[in-house]
Amino acid sequence: MTDLIEVRGLTKSFGDHHVLRGVDFSAESGTVTVLLGPSGSGKTTVLRSLNVLETPEAGIVRIGDASVDFAFSPDRRAVKALRSKSGMVFQAHNLFPHKTVLGNLIEGPVQVQKRPVDEAVADARALLEQVGLAGREDSYPSQLSGGQQQRVGIARALALRPEVLLLDEPTSALDPELVGEVLAVIRDLAAENWTLVIVTHEVRFARDVADEVLFLDEGVVAERGGAEVLTDPREERTRRFLARVLDAR
Amino acid sequence: MLLAVLCGLLSIGAAASADEETAPRVVRVGTEGVYPPFTYRDPETNELTGFDVEVVEAIGEEAGWDLEFVEAPFDSLFPALDSNRIDVIANQVTITGEREARYLFSTPYTYSHGVIVTAKDTDDITSLEDLKGRTTAQTASSNWAQVAKDAGAKVEYVQDFGPGVELVVQGRVDAIVNDNIAVLDYLATSGNDQVKIAGDAGDEVLEQALTFRQGDPELQQEADEAIATLTEDGTLAEISERYFGADVTVQGGAEDVEVGASDSRTTWEVVKDTAWPMFVGLVKGNIPLTIFSFAIGMVLAVAAALARLSSVRVLDWIARAYISIIRGTPLLVQLFIVFYGLPQIGVDLDPYPAAIAALSLNVGGYAAEVVRAAILSVPRGQYEAATVIGMDYGQSMRRIVLPQAARIAVPPLGNTLLSLIKDTALASLVLVPELFREAQVTAAATTEYLPLYIMAALYFWVVCYLVSLAQGPLERRLGRYAT
Repeated sequence: MTDLIEVRGLTKSFGDHHVLRGVDFSAESGTVTVLLGPSGSGKTTVLRSLNVLETPEAGIVRIGDASVDFAFSPDRRAVKALRSKSGMVFQAHNLFPHKTVLGNLIEGPVQVQKRPVDEAVADARALLEQVGLAGREDSYPSQLSGGQQQRVGIARALALRPEVLLLDEPTSALDPELVGEVLAVIRDLAAENWTLVIVTHEVRFARDVADEVLFLDEGVVAERGGAEVLTDPREERTRRFLARVLDAR
Repeated sequence: MLLAVLCGLLSIGAAASADEETAPRVVRVGTEGVYPPFTYRDPETNELTGFDVEVVEAIGEEAGWDLEFVEAPFDSLFPALDSNRIDVIANQVTITGEREARYLFSTPYTYSHGVIVTAKDTDDITSLEDLKGRTTAQTASSNWAQVAKDAGAKVEYVQDFGPGVELVVQGRVDAIVNDNIAVLDYLATSGNDQVKIAGDAGDEVLEQALTFRQGDPELQQEADEAIATLTEDGTLAEISERYFGADVTVQGGAEDVEVGASDSRTTWEVVKDTAWPMFVGLVKGNIPLTIFSFAIGMVLAVAAALARLSSVRVLDWIARAYISIIRGTPLLVQLFIVFYGLPQIGVDLDPYPAAIAALSLNVGGYAAEVVRAAILSVPRGQYEAATVIGMDYGQSMRRIVLPQAARIAVPPLGNTLLSLIKDTALASLVLVPELFREAQVTAAATTEYLPLYIMAALYFWVVCYLVSLAQGPLERRLGRYAT
């Protein structure tokens, strides 16, 4: 089986600071890939390169049949095609505050994908049911709790029917007591065989859901493997990082 | 549009190009409408009338012209003639050497001499010599301003004769030099006993005539022929007798002038009678000007704000230049460039479009920075969220960013709108009839300055108050999503 996601040789620097120094990885359809690493290791940059919110200086990103080679000035259509393959969940949810929950969900399907409104609304209602927010269609984001907002963020990303869901520290901005409800939704998605790429600090959660763990440090993949990386790392720096993160809890 | 304004700026100093057109059958007559008894609105009927108006009407009938009157402040009449907005000035224009170099004059239809007006208890000014070092109030482009200056007086500029008299009464200036007929009429109409005629301004006889562009000799010739006929058959003499009880259309006639009775209405009646014309001016002038200028200005503002935020250097540069020019120059100057300047390079807009163009450009320049700040206040994450659901630049602006920016921009844009409403009072300077112009016209005929100007202020205040009342609900509606 060919990989759904393929990333090769990503490099990126902000001024003198080399954020990515050649990152490679791939992921099969229906798997959960967890990106882990200390702050500044480049994990979020890798994730944001997958939908070209960051533009690497070199490297190739392919999702399904769409690929962009960053060594050449990226073609607008190729970027658009690559973006259409994924949905994204932001750390700060970035819901559209001036639109209702339902409005947030159907914005992409109706305005961009030009799907019929009826169909998009029906889809959206099903998704809200799935994330446990049936009946909140007409609320504005400001009327929801942080956990509810993030679940709407997940539903909005899914409403685009993407092949891959990208999650950028989806629980980092939440109060501790709200983290559980969001992780539960992500766990369900993993169980339904969605292809997920997650940047997270929730090590215990990652242990449960990860098929593949990438430990990034100083712009390179320092260690990779299955969930066992998180219990029994081979690399010293992975071990130190995990000790720090777990101690902090 | 911006380029047109720039070109206007550059060419404003260039010499007026002579108009090549042949005399049109429709003749546009420029006149003040605030200089009784020569040109004013009849307080009872609000119709334009006066000695000059009737004279030019008689001439027009004799010469077969189809007259169209255009009312404008005296200082606007010459630019209007230069820029082909009007074809002739009928407004007691005195023939001077300087003016003869630039314009054509008909045979004179008024002979008068200058007098000096002072407050009633001023006794040290009786002749031109006494004006040396004193201060007088004059209309800028009037020949009397030159007479006062030549006498060594300091000149304060006023829009027309009436406000000048107020300055004398208030003691802010010492005297006014003006035409004896106009002064006598003013004293009779106003019943003002605070000022007096203190003496003659020299013994020179001044001749007033219709004024034409250099390029219009046919019109001048037709006027001269008509004046000859009308003098012959006594028509001009008859008009003059009716207004002045003397024939001022011949030399020496002005010595025996007796002017008509004063307006007998009380202040309250004047205000009451003017309320309606002022309201009409508001509804036909200020309000449509505000609506159109604000709508177009907002489009310009958003465009300029987006250009400022654009990564395309040239767009940013153009927007910066536009905003800088608009904010760095007076609105009055912008109005004059658009209306009186641009015709010299072939951009000839009618009064309404010209006023709307200038006001829109002005509003756009001021609002652009407000809109830009509002757009910048929308968090970066909103652009990213719009991008990852597949929106292009236009969609994310239209559907995501601008609706959120609108909420931030409403309170400061409310200020811009209120300023605009008040700025429309300047439109009368480019010949658009509006509320304040109506107040000035009646004030000139009745000398009820304070009540009429307060009335005009009240109208503006009521409109602005109603607009600011609407702002609250609008803000709530735009902000309904925020708790």
